Amino acid sequence: MTRITLGSAVLRATVVPVLMASLTSTTALGAPPVDLSKWSPEYVRSIAGTQDFDTAADCGKVTPLDYKGRLTFWYQGVFEGDPDLLRQYYKDFFETFRKTYPNIQLEDQALTYNDLLDKFRTALLGNAAPMAVRLQILGGTEFASKGYLEPLKPEDVGYSTEDFWPGAMKAVTWEGVTYGIPTNNETMAFIWNADIFKRAGLDPDKAPATWDDVVKYSKQIHDKLGIAGYGLVARKNAGNTPYRFMPQLWAYGGGVFDEASANPTYGEVELDSPQSKAALQASYDMYVRDKSVPVSALTNQQADNQPLFVAGQLGMMISHPSDYNVMLDLQKKATGTDKDKAQTVIDNMRYGLIPTGPDGKRAVVFGGSNIHILKPEYVEGGKVDEPAAKAIICMWTSPEWSLKMAYAGSNPGNLNGFKTKWMKERLDNIKFLDVTTSMLPYGIPFPALPQSPEIMNIIVPDMLQNALTGAMTVDQAADDAAKKVKDLMGGL
Amino acid sequence: MLREVWEHRADYAYVLPAITVMLIVIAYPIYYTIELSFFKTPPGLQLRDKSFIGFDNYTAILTSEVFWKVTWNTLIWTLGSTLISFVLGFGAALALHRDFVGRGVLRAILIIPWVISAVAASYIWKWIYHSDFGIIGAVLVGLGLADRPPNFIDNVSTVLPSLIVVNIWREFPFAMIMMMAGLQTVPEQLLRAAEVDGANAWQRFWHVTFPHLRNVSTVTILLLAVANFNSFIIPWIMTGGGPSNASHIWITHIYELAFGRQRWGVASAYSVLLFLILMMLGYFYVRALTGNERKEGGA
Repeated sequence: MTRITLGSAVLRATVVPVLMASLTSTTALGAPPVDLSKWSPEYVRSIAGTQDFDTAADCGKVTPLDYKGRLTFWYQGVFEGDPDLLRQYYKDFFETFRKTYPNIQLEDQALTYNDLLDKFRTALLGNAAPMAVRLQILGGTEFASKGYLEPLKPEDVGYSTEDFWPGAMKAVTWEGVTYGIPTNNETMAFIWNADIFKRAGLDPDKAPATWDDVVKYSKQIHDKLGIAGYGLVARKNAGNTPYRFMPQLWAYGGGVFDEASANPTYGEVELDSPQSKAALQASYDMYVRDKSVPVSALTNQQADNQPLFVAGQLGMMISHPSDYNVMLDLQKKATGTDKDKAQTVIDNMRYGLIPTGPDGKRAVVFGGSNIHILKPEYVEGGKVDEPAAKAIICMWTSPEWSLKMAYAGSNPGNLNGFKTKWMKERLDNIKFLDVTTSMLPYGIPFPALPQSPEIMNIIVPDMLQNALTGAMTVDQAADDAAKKVKDLMGGL
Repeated sequence: MLREVWEHRADYAYVLPAITVMLIVIAYPIYYTIELSFFKTPPGLQLRDKSFIGFDNYTAILTSEVFWKVTWNTLIWTLGSTLISFVLGFGAALALHRDFVGRGVLRAILIIPWVISAVAASYIWKWIYHSDFGIIGAVLVGLGLADRPPNFIDNVSTVLPSLIVVNIWREFPFAMIMMMAGLQTVPEQLLRAAEVDGANAWQRFWHVTFPHLRNVSTVTILLLAVANFNSFIIPWIMTGGGPSNASHIWITHIYELAFGRQRWGVASAYSVLLFLILMMLGYFYVRALTGNERKEGGA
């Protein structure tokens, strides 16, 4: 029998909670890293809610909370395809930042994904860029290679490089130097309407296993129900296009270069390989041969697919878990019988892994965004308030805010975000989050090359459009795209 | 000459601020664009790392397949939009010139497309044309006139004519206003005299009204042509130049080359060529404006 004295009881009652608190409430830098080798939905659940972080205290060590300064900041913000929930978190972030750093005069500007790169490039030409910028993952290398960005690594704002996805760190690294910090990283999943599957004679609970199945299912849905099967997107200058086509390209064993291999060298252009052509042929079969996808795919983006899906006019698409929340938002706005129809779609919404290629290869774009500091000579006024820039970067990339700002559609860039209580909360609230986080290990980053934005936003969509409109054959379109990439890499 | 300048010093002082601003915001960019058109600006480098290549950008443009395709598109776009807008606008002006009940209301309604923002109009028309769920398609399918919605803007053959329709819808009110103003200047007594002489309606129009409208017609057509050569919003928002470059006109192609692909040198050379064409149109515009004055002065 163990005797417990009053003194030891008091001691236990006071010391144990303090010890527990000290174990669970740590600084971000002191937190043990997330073990990526154990990554699985179960592992993510097991670490969610195990640690508290004091963001203001952590960032106060980087830039004192009473620091007085001025910051101009551009960021890729929420747009029409995002759920209202995300809009609220963005609003909360900027309000919290202003409260945490009341003496920093913040001039922030949100730009949409498709506009940001063009506007940022133009501002740089006129030396009128903001002091800090949050860009899509595709943009980091382009601006780093041209010398516009200041070196910036997680350690500069109180975090550790190993707290971020290695693939994401590659996207902010140019010639061995780190020029930014990932804010969020994500992989998409495959979404389908179980009711449509059932009515089309397909198994409502099974996603198509391969891309060849997607082609078959799309045709079956279209032929039986007269609606679009798969939500193909082939618009030019729209991020949605490469995010949906590249997984298909990689699954068939193709690629722009060898970016889908373990150690890419980007030495050879592979857009004209038989595997790449097979992937393009699959899109051609759906659009031209079977006419089983929206005709408007050439001018559409994912935001145009969402209303079709909620209206029960589209069977399958690729997107974020946030699309479930978008459907809820759209359903709220619907009236009369449309509301009930939308509810039926939501009840039948299913998420699964993105299909594999013929050889069982599964791939998805490892997407996300990064945050950067500009060199003073490219900034309006020629000065960068570095402590102010680091303050907002520390806050956005903190475990707390990198999670909250990615609440519905993405994942925290800072892996410690997975340990927060908000991660636990979102695992319960955001349906299908498990599926998209399960896709993360299959994520392939876009080639970490300055030419990537042009390849992904212009050359690849052009290839799709040339084949799908009949302006070129599949072979010609792939060969033409490969030549354009070769010319681009050759400096033409 | 100096004496004349001195005598008009007050006039020069009045226009000096405007000239100064023009030099800053127009002359310098024109100079810089011309200069840049002689440089190679690799997309992987900063603009300051450009290298002089003489006329290579111009040679590259004139020998590229895309240039001729885009030029052909631009010609169809400009001529189609300009001429049809003018004809429709002229017709509407003639119809509204006569007095009838509801003329004022009709005139106000017809002006609406011109005052609507081009951006808003582009998005509205994009949905009207939508290849799967557009209003036109729904009506045609609903009436049993088509099995499936027509493909307006996702087809290489129909996209440009479809965009021209939108452009005409937006522009013809401008031609209508211009021609209505012109019609006010046709002397009523000449028309009555012609009527007394036995001229029918067509003869009165062709021999009296139309000659009086020659100058305003020329000016209207030139203004429309210049605006259409430079028209960016409708094609860019509705199709981004696609699909497969089928709706790329010069100005959208220049934008994509510069801001999307960062070929500043090539885009500048394109801009210089476009500038030369527009200057030619501008020359004819000025001639049309001043021709009348010269005639009046010489009479």
